[in-house]
Amino acid sequence: MPPKKMTANPLRGPIYRAGKPLPGQSDSSDSSDEPEEEEETPAPKPAPPKAASFRPKPKPATPAPAATSPQDLAEGFETASEDESGSDKEDGSGSGSDDESSSEEDEESSEEEVAPRKLMRPVFVKKNARVTSATPAKSYEEIEAEAEARRKATADAMLQEQLELAAAEKANRKKHWDEEDNIDEAEFVDDADAATPESAAAELAAWKLRELRRVKRERAAIEEAEAERAEVERRRNLSAAEREAEDREFLKKQEDEKGERGTMSYMQKYFHKGAFFQDDLKANGVDRRDLMGAKFEDATNREILPEYMQMRDMTKLGRKSRTKYRDMKSEDTGRWGDFEKRGPGKDHGVDERFRSDGHEGRGQAVTGANSGPLGERKRPGQGEDRDGKRARFDDR
Amino acid sequence: MSAKFKPETTHKADATALLDDRGYSGLLIRGQNPALLFEKAVRDRITESYYWKEQCFGLNAATLCDRAAELTAIGGTYGGVGKPTPFLCLAFKLLQLVPQREVILEYLNFHGEDGGEDGDADAAGNGESGAVQNPQALGKRGEFKYLRALAAFYIRLAWEPVDIYTTLEPLLADFRKLRRRTREGFALTYVDQFVDDLLTKDRICATSLWKLPSRANLEDLEMLEPRVSPLGDEVEELDREDEMEEESDGVVEERDGSSERSRNGSVRRYSDSGSEND
Repeated sequence: MPPKKMTANPLRGPIYRAGKPLPGQSDSSDSSDEPEEEEETPAPKPAPPKAASFRPKPKPATPAPAATSPQDLAEGFETASEDESGSDKEDGSGSGSDDESSSEEDEESSEEEVAPRKLMRPVFVKKNARVTSATPAKSYEEIEAEAEARRKATADAMLQEQLELAAAEKANRKKHWDEEDNIDEAEFVDDADAATPESAAAELAAWKLRELRRVKRERAAIEEAEAERAEVERRRNLSAAEREAEDREFLKKQEDEKGERGTMSYMQKYFHKGAFFQDDLKANGVDRRDLMGAKFEDATNREILPEYMQMRDMTKLGRKSRTKYRDMKSEDTGRWGDFEKRGPGKDHGVDERFRSDGHEGRGQAVTGANSGPLGERKRPGQGEDRDGKRARFDDR
Repeated sequence: MSAKFKPETTHKADATALLDDRGYSGLLIRGQNPALLFEKAVRDRITESYYWKEQCFGLNAATLCDRAAELTAIGGTYGGVGKPTPFLCLAFKLLQLVPQREVILEYLNFHGEDGGEDGDADAAGNGESGAVQNPQALGKRGEFKYLRALAAFYIRLAWEPVDIYTTLEPLLADFRKLRRRTREGFALTYVDQFVDDLLTKDRICATSLWKLPSRANLEDLEMLEPRVSPLGDEVEELDREDEMEEESDGVVEERDGSSERSRNGSVRRYSDSGSEND
């Protein structure tokens, strides 16, 4: 009668606890085991843990009865089927000390076997032909040595594995100075050397191509240098007139080429990037553009605009940062190279009485106190004429 | 006491003596502190990087090989901040150490079965000039191509022009692949391409290389022989093919024809007789 519970939950079935009999069938299974184990240990107990070398080999599916059972039955008698299986069982079972465990297993295995099959018929074997377990094929020491060797081998294998794992991990771990870097990205660029002959041949071909390019480049450079020297020599050997003729031709050619390009309109926006970027433009193939002559669709003629609106960059119109600078010519205040036309002088519109004194023959530097008339200078050796300027009275 | 020559064993493990220019009394390269071959910005980045602080502390010429064997890329600085590659840090370490010539040649030809480069007197087996038939033998010098690239970089920075040309030109036959770290990501390059860049470009791997006199100048000064390419025979064949093509077309430009004929496999020096037409 299951114990009555306080809760009103429905009772579940019997709970299985490992190693304990189910509450319903306490001794029914044990009682069936009893008659099989007559002479041996009274209760089935788990085999004590033994060293691996003493473990008998795992029995095949058709187990043979224990070696002790023929001994128990009668000496010299072996069942016919035991003969073959007995021989390979003997390798596993050694001395008599492990008979207990082996016999237990044999009992249990034979128990399973006996139930479906009937007992073997004992066949008499002569004493000389008997193969009993007391004389195993190998001696105890040899078996032990073999087992030792096997143990060592497995231990070595495990150790080797561990070492390899450690080495691989060490090789693959991220070096922490490379922490934030993408090492995986490096795998995309494969720097492994050629493995197969085909790829080696391909690499060789690529190298030959590069080497040829280098040789060609060297030759081109040398040819250029020599051509230049030859040109210089040639020009030196020409006469002056011929040189000028050549120069004129060259200039004309330049102007023709330039003539295809337009000229800038008044205050056109300046798109030239500057000399610093010429190499880049050349690399992109756009260094021969016609920037100054480019015309845009909505080009306005700035000359007709009022002065306030004449600027290069119309986005600055009305803004604070705009500079009123237009171009150098309009900002220039000097008169460069203009000496011929001198307009009306300083005192041109002034009445005659108020004009300055010395502007006819004299330079403008003579003004003010120094503008009085000067006489001749007194020379040192001519001082005798002291009376020359004195007033003369003739009747003294 | 002020020693003009400071033996290698007494350099400091970190680079304080190297970086402090005022008190520097170690070996000079071209009369100045070797660290000045790198720009100040790059030097600062190197010295502040983790790789330098951890891995390049107390290296000598031997342990540097171990570090170099772990290299997986060449390159200068990368990323937005300008992080230096381990390659660059090791190059800076080499500049600090200023190893001897034989050591550098060992780096260059580590585990090479052929005889050494110009430094060694006895050139064994297939030397540079005769190995056209099997260029692969020249290419396969040593297992550590990044160590080789590092040594080549150092040579370009530290040695004299004639030595640079004679030592680096055999590397133009090595066509192994290298991984180059660019500012964003990686690129593929080759050892001979890298060496060619070292010899011709101005700026590589975040360094402005000091100006090398061109090969033509040195040839004119008779310090170098004209370069014989490892492809010598094949170049000749191509020339002959070109000539035959030109003649068969009926357009024989005399100038080109004579120039082709006069340059068979080797580059002809400019002769002082004015024009080059025969």
